[in-house]
Amino acid sequence: MSGRPLTIEKPWQRWLIRLGVFLAMAILCVPGVWVVLTAFRPNVEILARPPVWIPQDPTLNNFLGIFGLLPAQQQGLPVARYFLNSVVISLTSTAVAILLGMMGGYAFARYRFRGKGALFVSFMLSRTVPGVALSLPLFIVWSRIGLLDTSLGLIIVYLAINIPFTVWLTDGFFRQIPVDLSEAAQIDGCTRWQAFWKIEFPLARSGLASAAIFAFLTSWNEYALASQLTRTTASKTMPVGLMDFTAQFTVDWSGMSAMAVLIIIPALLLTFVVQKHLIAGLTFGGVK
Amino acid sequence: MAEIKLTKVVKRYGALGVVHGIDLSIAHNEFVVLVGPSGCGKSTTLRMIAGLEDISDGEIRIGNRVVNGLPPRDRNVSMVFQNYALYPHMNVRENLGFGLGIAKVPAPEIERRVNQAAEILGLQPYMDRLPANLSGGQRQRVAMGRAIVRDPDVFLFDEPLSNLDAKLRGQMRVEIKKLHQRVKTTVVYVTHDQVEAMTLADRIVIMRDGHIEQVGTPAEVFERPVNVFVAGFIGSPPMNLIDAVVTTEGLRPAARLADGVVVPLPAGVSVSEGQRITLGLRPDDITPQGHGMPGTGETLRLEREVALAEPLGTETILFTRLGDKEIQAKMLNPRVVTPGETLPFVVDLARLHVFDAADGRSLKA
Amino acid sequence: MTLFRSPRAVPYLLLTPALVVIAAVILVPLAVSLWSSFTAYNLTRPATLYSFVGLRNYARLLNNADFWWAFGRTLVFITVTLNLELVLGLGLALLVNQVTMGRKVLRTIMMFPMMFSPILVGFQFKYIFNDAVGLVNNALFDLGLITQPIPWLVDGTLAPLSIMAAEIWMSTSVFAILLLAGLLALPKEPIEAAKVDGCGPIQVFRHITLPFLMPFIFIAMTIRSLDVARAYDMVRIMTNGGPAGRTELLWTLMARVGYQNSQMGMANAMGYVSILTSILFTVYFYRKLVVARRYMGGVE
Repeated sequence: MSGRPLTIEKPWQRWLIRLGVFLAMAILCVPGVWVVLTAFRPNVEILARPPVWIPQDPTLNNFLGIFGLLPAQQQGLPVARYFLNSVVISLTSTAVAILLGMMGGYAFARYRFRGKGALFVSFMLSRTVPGVALSLPLFIVWSRIGLLDTSLGLIIVYLAINIPFTVWLTDGFFRQIPVDLSEAAQIDGCTRWQAFWKIEFPLARSGLASAAIFAFLTSWNEYALASQLTRTTASKTMPVGLMDFTAQFTVDWSGMSAMAVLIIIPALLLTFVVQKHLIAGLTFGGVK
Repeated sequence: MAEIKLTKVVKRYGALGVVHGIDLSIAHNEFVVLVGPSGCGKSTTLRMIAGLEDISDGEIRIGNRVVNGLPPRDRNVSMVFQNYALYPHMNVRENLGFGLGIAKVPAPEIERRVNQAAEILGLQPYMDRLPANLSGGQRQRVAMGRAIVRDPDVFLFDEPLSNLDAKLRGQMRVEIKKLHQRVKTTVVYVTHDQVEAMTLADRIVIMRDGHIEQVGTPAEVFERPVNVFVAGFIGSPPMNLIDAVVTTEGLRPAARLADGVVVPLPAGVSVSEGQRITLGLRPDDITPQGHGMPGTGETLRLEREVALAEPLGTETILFTRLGDKEIQAKMLNPRVVTPGETLPFVVDLARLHVFDAADGRSLKA
Repeated sequence: MTLFRSPRAVPYLLLTPALVVIAAVILVPLAVSLWSSFTAYNLTRPATLYSFVGLRNYARLLNNADFWWAFGRTLVFITVTLNLELVLGLGLALLVNQVTMGRKVLRTIMMFPMMFSPILVGFQFKYIFNDAVGLVNNALFDLGLITQPIPWLVDGTLAPLSIMAAEIWMSTSVFAILLLAGLLALPKEPIEAAKVDGCGPIQVFRHITLPFLMPFIFIAMTIRSLDVARAYDMVRIMTNGGPAGRTELLWTLMARVGYQNSQMGMANAMGYVSILTSILFTVYFYRKLVVARRYMGGVE
């Protein structure tokens, strides 16, 4: 599995490659780093000309500001509430999506049944519907049944968005686990239910974790649907809240950057935790 | 007491029949081997006994219970899988004790039985390892340990040695045999390897295309195969099968081969003049003069040119022609034979097998 | 051979909850959407949901220049960005594959953009391309390359390019990571055989590496075509379709028509066009994936 570079002999070629990698990584990192830096800058520094590259006067005021904790500041935004909404909505929809998706994935991996192929493809296709296009009719339906601007409404929507991908991934994970193991457990005295929980589930756990992270991030980051289906602090999520900072012609860069950092942090943490599973999930969900 | 009785057992997948109504009785503590080419239904039969496949028709009894509708856990059987099916997330000790834990056996008792099994199989040094860190032979032992620890009525083996290399396979074969002598239990063992079948079995069940062709002790199926298929399947190197037509030589029936050689048929063969037959001749029964087992009865001498010699040490396999076939002959106490050399061969006529060319049935009484 | 002991109903029972949710959130709304696309439904007048107008919305769309521009722009946007992402992602994967040290760190960095919310990426680039306080202009000033700020997001030519840059930044990683995984799984023997047969590095890449990577490329394409509409979020925050409609994509246009102008019937007609486009893209790549996979004899 380890490195197998096409033979590169000359040192200058090696340096060229290192330079290329460095540049690429810089391009990937700089925009995010810049936003993070901005989050800790006072407004004067953001608007300074000539620009101040390295923060001279790091401050937490931007964060305090968006939580309305600074006394003489423009009115505080309900960011704490947005954050809470985001957490509740993302976690709930993820947990349920994993449960339902796992059931579906198991069915696809372990059973033969009529209409299997067609069903699998329609799961996939349901995922292709663009968020905006889906938001239009959902807006109509949700407003009629009173789910508009509720956390529950958004949770259900994210559930539906996350299930197909979870099914796809878990199907792959379960197919990796030999049927023998479940059979051996049944011979050893388990019911099929016990065999699942004692053998197959523990073996699929890392896969399920990565599916969970995908689902969480999808919900956490989603904007197109949330922006139409939420109206007030009752259900607005962080990405929707981010737009609160833009007026027609003015943008509160420091506040937005602080908020952006709050959105990034969970994503970054999760990336570090699961990066390995993530790739494994993507590739064998698809290739096998 | 756990004898197994299969009555008209059928397995169908949709319209596709895999096992076509087989009958089989296995005695208490008997070691029975199901053998046959792949796709013959032997594994499916085993899995039906285990309860991993449902039974489309017929009846399976274990002990005096009909087990048709019972899930595997209620049949008190244990099984060793082809790929071992060890639980990858449990170490050897946990793998061995898993079934007992499920059965809510008290911990000290689990401990005792696991240790006992480990001792029988020499697994003590590996108890805390995960399956991934074991060699093929060790995994095989763990799989067997997991089976014996539960003290089941019936042991099922599904081609357990097919993933091992030749040398290890030989060793494990011996261990399985010893194990059976030590832990007396009914065993049903599936393999496609006739050597395994011959060496392990009390009785062999030879299957083909979902039917049982013959059931018998290793000696019976070797000495008296009921048809061409069994004759060709059992024995290594395989029996030479040569087409022939029945003729009369003197006053007794004989077989005329394609190359004009006339072979007198042994007594007790019921044939009629002109009948097309297949002669079966084991390599052991056609040997160069002075290089075979001393024959007990009538023999036939043939001068044959050797096309190729395959020295194996204690014996040499000689390739030559008889009838329209290339055949193999066995040379004991071998000397060097050069291709092209002509040798006098002796055929042990009493041990000749005769089959009907049309339906393959043995014509020997 | 799996266990078929359980009754036939089991797989359906397992799938039922998932199906119910998807039916409630996707199928039913899509049916509503289809119906409303045949009505003159206006959000401000609920009764219009029942005023059936047949194909009028679609007919109007076909005669609407704004729609055609947005539609064309969307197709160009998808095609250009997906292809550039593929090329850049392949390049990045090959590059990182050459480095033996610190590959794990590199892979983690490559994953950053994937984890970012599109709205966040949009904000990030809105900030970076801002003419007054943006990083790009600041850098260009400091390097003495410009004296006047470049209005990246206000200029009609630069704005679409800026948005594409943001999109490519966000999604190149998907390709890079999957292709890197493919490169790492590349079996050694065929490459060695090719070298023995006298292939140079370019020929090895052309005849061995690339065909092997094809399934991975199509997986990436399939995954990307599933979420390409996320670009809406980015455009929404960066330019919201401006300047003067130069970055108006199908998705922003339908949101504007539906929510701002309340012409839900019309918006849903557009929605259907976009749904069919997305499905077409996905099915196309999925087909390719299946074929490539078969061609490779089921790459393990």
